[in-house]
Amino acid sequence: MTVTTTLKSLPAAWNTFFFAEQSPLPIALFRMAYGLLVIATLLLLRPDWLAWYGTHAWISLPTMQLVEPGRRLNLFAVIPQTDGWINALFWVFLGSAVLLTVGLLTRINSVIVFLCLTSIHQRNLFILHGGDTFLRLAGFFLIFAPAGAALSLDRLFRIWRGNEDALFELRPESPWAQRMIQIQLAILYFAAFCSKVKSPLWLQGTALYYVYHLDAFKRFPVPAWFLRPTILKLASWSALVIEFSLGVLIWVRGLRYIVLALGLLLHLWLEYSLNIPLFQWDVLSAYILFVDPADISRAWNWIGSRNSSSPPAAPPKVDPELRVPPPTVDTDSSPS
Amino acid sequence: MKIDRKERGWLTRARVTRVLINLFLGFHILAITCWCVPLNLPFFPLCRKLVRPYFLWAGLFQSWDMFAPSPWASNSYVEAVVIYKDGSRKTWSFPRMEQLSLTQRYFKERYRKLSEVIQIDENDSLWPDVARHIARLNSTPSQPVKTIILIRWWSPIVPRADGSYQPEPWDRHVLLGYGVRPEDLQ
Repeated sequence: MTVTTTLKSLPAAWNTFFFAEQSPLPIALFRMAYGLLVIATLLLLRPDWLAWYGTHAWISLPTMQLVEPGRRLNLFAVIPQTDGWINALFWVFLGSAVLLTVGLLTRINSVIVFLCLTSIHQRNLFILHGGDTFLRLAGFFLIFAPAGAALSLDRLFRIWRGNEDALFELRPESPWAQRMIQIQLAILYFAAFCSKVKSPLWLQGTALYYVYHLDAFKRFPVPAWFLRPTILKLASWSALVIEFSLGVLIWVRGLRYIVLALGLLLHLWLEYSLNIPLFQWDVLSAYILFVDPADISRAWNWIGSRNSSSPPAAPPKVDPELRVPPPTVDTDSSPS
Repeated sequence: MKIDRKERGWLTRARVTRVLINLFLGFHILAITCWCVPLNLPFFPLCRKLVRPYFLWAGLFQSWDMFAPSPWASNSYVEAVVIYKDGSRKTWSFPRMEQLSLTQRYFKERYRKLSEVIQIDENDSLWPDVARHIARLNSTPSQPVKTIILIRWWSPIVPRADGSYQPEPWDRHVLLGYGVRPEDLQ
């Protein structure tokens, strides 16, 4: 294949990747997981809500604006600085996260959740971990996604009004916003990998020795054999290999489920051994988006076949000019 | 087949939408990559500079450097010596995760993060705010706080050839001495 041929095929690959319609189930499942994680984050923050964001917070709003200058989307800079208003923001945020989770007024609530989330981050940037950052970034792209197209009250109301097909017949949607969340996740891992390989500690395999002797991060007891130098070396290098794989090899269709399984194991181990509440789940939630929609649809249809006797719906109408027809063989999320 | 004006208008709108989405996608993929992938490519610094205002405004800024490039090489915590107007004193400490229950750690983890951040000298502009907050936490109208001294305690983690770990002695370093003003306590 010549370079010219390859270049000519790029636009088609781009279109297939971002616009070939697919089941909205993965993004709907992600929306629910995302909403639950935002709710959990808020509930964990609740006892110290005013200590972090109130009028007498640890870091005052003027200090925050001085240390991190620039125009920012930040509702705290707009609302009156009273504890009443700041508490009201919490309840609006929480209510909106609940509605997003159940998929009621999904688009509006995804905007409100993102605005509130980015506002609390901008208000105090010094208490965030990577999981918070990922939620914020995923929330941005979720605004543009058809997140309420399945598993939502919005859809139930549409069916009730006769605007949509039967409960178990989902209308395919363009997945470009979902792809952006997937790309964001892959970049996260690749950037983490690149940061680590700069350090001799990671290359020599001694980095995890330090990590597992940081008292503040300890959660459950780690077996003594795991702390042996050889095992820690292997574990340090394995972490690098898995992060690289989740950043790069995840786009290779044949390797995807293996890479996801390795990532899942890594995060479950970190969840057991290190105290970084919600971080692992924030990141793992986006793994749903890498599951082949055909596999999720198969499970969905199986549930449907057990609950509905309606005949299968007609294939979706596809505009020949603008929409790439759904792939007939491969409903995979990458052109590879 | 004839396409009427209404359909043509719809097609034009859809084409324009598709072009806009493609621009949005291309821009964000490039910008996010340049922003957070720590590669020394010539284009990256310029790209970061260009997208910075938008990323800061929209909340798209990000860094993925947990335990990287190197993890912390010492255990550490921050405590404050609280000196009252009557001369009495007490020690106040940030919640230390290793001393909390599993449930408490879920709720108080943000304190570990703040404590970690204020130990970095570049974040010295946060110290007065932190001192003021500790003063408010420990002050009463009958016993107001006069001075707060922020202290960083640390104990290096020293790897041994056999993989064993021996805690090293704790050392300390004063971050800030802050004279509390009456208005700080309001």
